[in-house]
Amino acid sequence: MSIQAIRTEENLVTEEPYYEPVGDEISVFAAAHKNQLPVLLKGPTGCGKTRFIEYMSWFLQRPMITVACHDDLTASDLVGRYLVKGGETVWVDGPLTRAARNGCICYLDEVVEARKDTSVVIHPLCDDRRLLPIEKLGELLQVPNEFCLAISYNPGYQSVLKDLKQSTRQRFVALEFGYPDADKEQLIVENEARGIDPVVAKHLVKFGIMTRNLKGGGLDEGASTRLLVNAAKLIVSGIEPVVATDTAVALALTDDVDMLKAVHELSRSVF
Amino acid sequence: MPVESRQSFLNRIRVQKDLERVTGTAIERQGRGAELISEIAALGRENQDFIYHWAEIIGRSNGELAGHFVNRAAAAFEKLDRNGVETWLMAAMEQFDNRGLGAGIDVLEELPQYIEAYRSRHNSCSFDLVAQFLQHFVTGLGGREMIITTSSDTYTDTEKIFLPEIVNQFDERDLNFSIFKLTAVHLWAQSWYGTWRYQVVERLSRMPDTAATSAIFNCLECIRLDACVSREFPGMYRQFEALGYRSTMHKEQWDIWRARAPFLVDPAASAMDSIALVPDFRSVSLPELKCYQGEIRLQQIREAMFARIEREKAAMKQALAELQRTLQEANGRDPETTGNPKEMGEFSLAEDGESGSDGEINFELRYDGEQVEMTAELEALLSSILQDFGEVPDEHLEGINAGMYPDQLESEGGGESAGVDKNSELKDAISYREWDYTRQRYREGFCRLSELDVPIGDETFVEDTLAKYHGLLKSIKKTFEAVLGEAKLQRRQSQGDDIDIDALVEAHADLASGREMSDYVYTRFRNLDRNIAVMFMVDMSGSTLGWVNDAERESLILLCEALETLGDRYAIYGFSGRTNKRCEIYRVKRFEEAYTRFVRERISGIRPKSYTRMGVAIRHLGHLLNMTRARTKILITLSDGRPEDYGGYKGRYGIEDTRHALLELRRDGIHSFCITIDKEAQDYLPHMYGMANYAVIDEVKKLPLKVADIYRRLTT
Repeated sequence: MSIQAIRTEENLVTEEPYYEPVGDEISVFAAAHKNQLPVLLKGPTGCGKTRFIEYMSWFLQRPMITVACHDDLTASDLVGRYLVKGGETVWVDGPLTRAARNGCICYLDEVVEARKDTSVVIHPLCDDRRLLPIEKLGELLQVPNEFCLAISYNPGYQSVLKDLKQSTRQRFVALEFGYPDADKEQLIVENEARGIDPVVAKHLVKFGIMTRNLKGGGLDEGASTRLLVNAAKLIVSGIEPVVATDTAVALALTDDVDMLKAVHELSRSVF
Repeated sequence: MPVESRQSFLNRIRVQKDLERVTGTAIERQGRGAELISEIAALGRENQDFIYHWAEIIGRSNGELAGHFVNRAAAAFEKLDRNGVETWLMAAMEQFDNRGLGAGIDVLEELPQYIEAYRSRHNSCSFDLVAQFLQHFVTGLGGREMIITTSSDTYTDTEKIFLPEIVNQFDERDLNFSIFKLTAVHLWAQSWYGTWRYQVVERLSRMPDTAATSAIFNCLECIRLDACVSREFPGMYRQFEALGYRSTMHKEQWDIWRARAPFLVDPAASAMDSIALVPDFRSVSLPELKCYQGEIRLQQIREAMFARIEREKAAMKQALAELQRTLQEANGRDPETTGNPKEMGEFSLAEDGESGSDGEINFELRYDGEQVEMTAELEALLSSILQDFGEVPDEHLEGINAGMYPDQLESEGGGESAGVDKNSELKDAISYREWDYTRQRYREGFCRLSELDVPIGDETFVEDTLAKYHGLLKSIKKTFEAVLGEAKLQRRQSQGDDIDIDALVEAHADLASGREMSDYVYTRFRNLDRNIAVMFMVDMSGSTLGWVNDAERESLILLCEALETLGDRYAIYGFSGRTNKRCEIYRVKRFEEAYTRFVRERISGIRPKSYTRMGVAIRHLGHLLNMTRARTKILITLSDGRPEDYGGYKGRYGIEDTRHALLELRRDGIHSFCITIDKEAQDYLPHMYGMANYAVIDEVKKLPLKVADIYRRLTT
């Protein structure tokens, strides 16, 4: 086993990631990047937002830095901080500053999770100023044209405390992501889980659509494309389809006994 | 003597001795005695011991009864498990104790009857147990939402699926459960795969000898539908095949039918093909229905279908008219003046060439030849119409002149305003504006609203509710406490339990670079401050009468109990009214009021009043909410349907006004959320509240549980 460490700002996607476009999102993102506009990706979990950014990173040949936001993430976690080394203080750039200095694509995943003070750095970066204020250094970083900020957010969250403020969202070009249509989703499943029987993939997608019929009627979300791909991978490794859907999909979706049984039975009806 | 026979011989000797020991009588090795020994010797050792054990116990009460038990025990073990045998002999003992030896012996001797009753009790599957599952399952299959319910007959009327109360066709409960499931799928498939298309139903009802025709059609359709299921749901089809037939002969009968109608299994076959085949099968003997097959109730199907067609035609016209109006406005034409239908464009549907996931044709809607985007409501309507007709009939697409509601508003509103003076006692009423979407502007001071007190209700309702949901309340409180208990490590505090290394390093760095050192270098665990004010707006319209009202009141009581744990500021107000001149808000609990006996009594006093004019209520309660000081402000509506009031306040007018009221609130930084039991709410709630700001509760009785749960999710 060989382990290779690379610096995040040198994380260039060299191989074309598999991505199946559903509309004109690639050209819109490329145009936004050309015009130095930040991009907001909206969509339910597991529908391909992160994969899209990876693809765009390859497409635009820009390194990509991903930050998974959490509720303790502050502005200085993004910008950087001083560390003490042998009695001396050393400044260490945060991921956003590194991305800005190197003209990377910075992807803030699930940005609503981050603390509110992050907007202090996001706002000046996302309008025509394109400035990153580094307060501790007393610097204002004018970011290069190649830099691009992309954030993602799932509007399906039902918490009033996790909402994207108008002042933030109105700075972005927004791209909406949904689940692909059945044929395309089958193609994705077949490509992601190499070796899956196309008939099984078709059934998996049909099963996925059936679970999405239950959204709002007891399920918070239907099965995402990611879950279907996971199930497909298990099937390729020799797991029975119904066991794969039970473990990779049904149990991941709900704890409600009746609903679980319904989802189990739906998978048994297609396989 | 071979080893096996020798063992068997020794075994029989042992059994004989054991039996003689427990019954206290000699057992002959000929006749019935020999039979008995063989029967018991054939049982496993554990079952033998069970018989001896109980024979001894019964023998202490009555030797004859014990003799009868021993005599029948082996037969009982053949058909029942040990639990079954035990309940059988307990029943006999009970009869013996209460009614004497004869009654006890009767129970033991009537073993076959007992076995039958026991099996139907223990192996059957009842509808109640599977209802919720079936509802989810059928919804998951797709298509028009169908209600699963019970009836003495098994059939579908295309809107509901009627299933028996109990299924006991098999000796295993799981198999009986499967029959419920397969029957529901079969009846769902009838609607989904076009058995009850309008054309089919009409043709069928005009054929001679409807009863016989229906029976033959039912069988032919079963063949066609099974083939459809086999193509799309192979797993389900395997269960159809495994459980559908009552015997090999039964299967052979069906094979004969299938062989005579080979075309029906073709993907291109339709219900019309089944009808065309009916005359050919009149002379062929009918096979018995398959285990999962239902009957045909043509009359009920026609009634449900005609009512639906009319309903959907009207809904479609209204939806198109609204769309037309929007399009006209977008094109810069004033819909008010473009009253002449000739000047209006026309809607048409065109296939977009792509085949949908379920073999449905996808349509695109065009207006004057140009593609327009369909609303979710229109899509659902079209899908249901397609299920009925297989196409969308032209008459469904004829747009009508919009503006029906505004006209009604003027005339009815005017009529009402004459009677307003009757309520001169409402002179304290506050004026609120209302959004008129037809004019695209507010009607200033249009609504008159008064705040009233809810009459005091009976406190026993509160006690009963607390007793009824005792267990649930405990678990709700626990989850709420968990929210509070979510102590978080707070960084950069001026005082705390531990040092925040990151902050200290930063402070040190600041110091080294000559700046002022920060004091905020500690971490501490602390519960999050919940600075939340929540307003509950309860629908008190007439339609909540009965169950819904009870569920609302129960939910409120549970919620209040739970909110007391949480310490959030909350208020409860009810709303109702009749016309714009008499909008009413009922105080149940104000923000500053404690949760006292009076509040509880007022909750119990909430009763259905008249109509649902939501916009004005939202504006008023939003105003109250705005006056409180809290970081997060939420308005939660408990409702049972769409906004509706006299004077044209319905349909799009009501929805648009409510939406505007909510937008006003949003501008003020108030979050709104709606909890409803209206199953059609998905058509209009996303438009009013936004995609994620509502929850539809599918069962009224779940409301108390869900409301608390949703509140917790909403505020964490």
